[in-house]
Amino acid sequence: MKILEANNGALTNFEVLDFLRAKGASKDPTRVLAKVAQSEYKVYDYLIDTAARDQTRESINEFLESVKSHDLAKAEILNIINIRPTNIVEIFPIIECCDTRFSDEELTEIVEIVKRTLPPPPEDANGAEATKSNVEEGGEQMETS
Amino acid sequence: MFYLSKIEHTLPLPAPQLSRPIREAIHTELEKLFLDKVIANLGLCISVYDIKSIEGGFIYPGDGAPTYTVVFNLIMFRPFVGEIMTAKLLSSDADGLRLSLGFFDDIYVPLQHLPSPNEFKAESKNRCRYPYLIFSLNKYTKGTWYWKYEEQSYPVDDSDMIKFRIQNVTYPSIPVEQPKESKPFAPMLVTGSIDHDGLGPVSWWPGQEEDAEEEEEETAAEE
Repeated sequence: MKILEANNGALTNFEVLDFLRAKGASKDPTRVLAKVAQSEYKVYDYLIDTAARDQTRESINEFLESVKSHDLAKAEILNIINIRPTNIVEIFPIIECCDTRFSDEELTEIVEIVKRTLPPPPEDANGAEATKSNVEEGGEQMETS
Repeated sequence: MFYLSKIEHTLPLPAPQLSRPIREAIHTELEKLFLDKVIANLGLCISVYDIKSIEGGFIYPGDGAPTYTVVFNLIMFRPFVGEIMTAKLLSSDADGLRLSLGFFDDIYVPLQHLPSPNEFKAESKNRCRYPYLIFSLNKYTKGTWYWKYEEQSYPVDDSDMIKFRIQNVTYPSIPVEQPKESKPFAPMLVTGSIDHDGLGPVSWWPGQEEDAEEEEEETAAEE
């Protein structure tokens, strides 16, 4: 086995979820018929509970366009797309040297861009994660229609 | 978290697979070989993304299977240092926490990466008035960690997801021999830290929950 390129590109959680969905992974009982391996299903089950579930290519592109004006590193943008922080406290650990590089207003602006462009994460079973329930219902309607 | 890695590999295609279209057959063989396996310094292989090229098909003397040289992309799970992730709590003992992502279980948050000040309450079947005695008797005592902040004790338990930051990723080499009682060998070890603002159980950092409850009341009123 020869490794030609160890890093041929980073993938967001959404892209991996999209790839598994295209293979036929899903939450309902027809999942047993799909050509998806058990280990791949474990990844799918993990990702379906994160913010990546309701994201779309358009929303991610929109986010990337809007956040270009701020000086964020690629890894930080990737982290933000994967985690979808809803307030400043969640952004703190993502951005390195947060207090020296950005002021509080800039951070609030970045959080606003996130809230505006990326759909909110799904609600956790215990209601511990944040969710806007009306948007979540909208998301479910889209899936059924 | 996920990267694409381009790999070139030479593999024989067993005879029963020869009746299938070649792409499918090679895809199945690659999945058998790489799926859910750890490649040193590349990470855990999640999936075969696509096949770039298939060459060869030579049959070596004495062999029943044609050998192909395939170039393909694998989706690798390789967390980088500084990445933030959420995981479930698998177990918690005197040495720290162990977290699980579902597809990957070897994430440890050792003692020094827990927020301080903290305390550990070992759970014990026989209620002893001196918990530290039990502590010394059994090193792997299970228990709950508490973070003491502003007079309040916040527990780290499995009621919600735990956000943590990657400190380190190592790929220990395969041991030749292992004593019977030690933990099963982990080819990829991730060390995490929850010693920072915004990290730890998700319920520790409110502010978003209150907004969500207000919105839920509003939508209920509308309906």
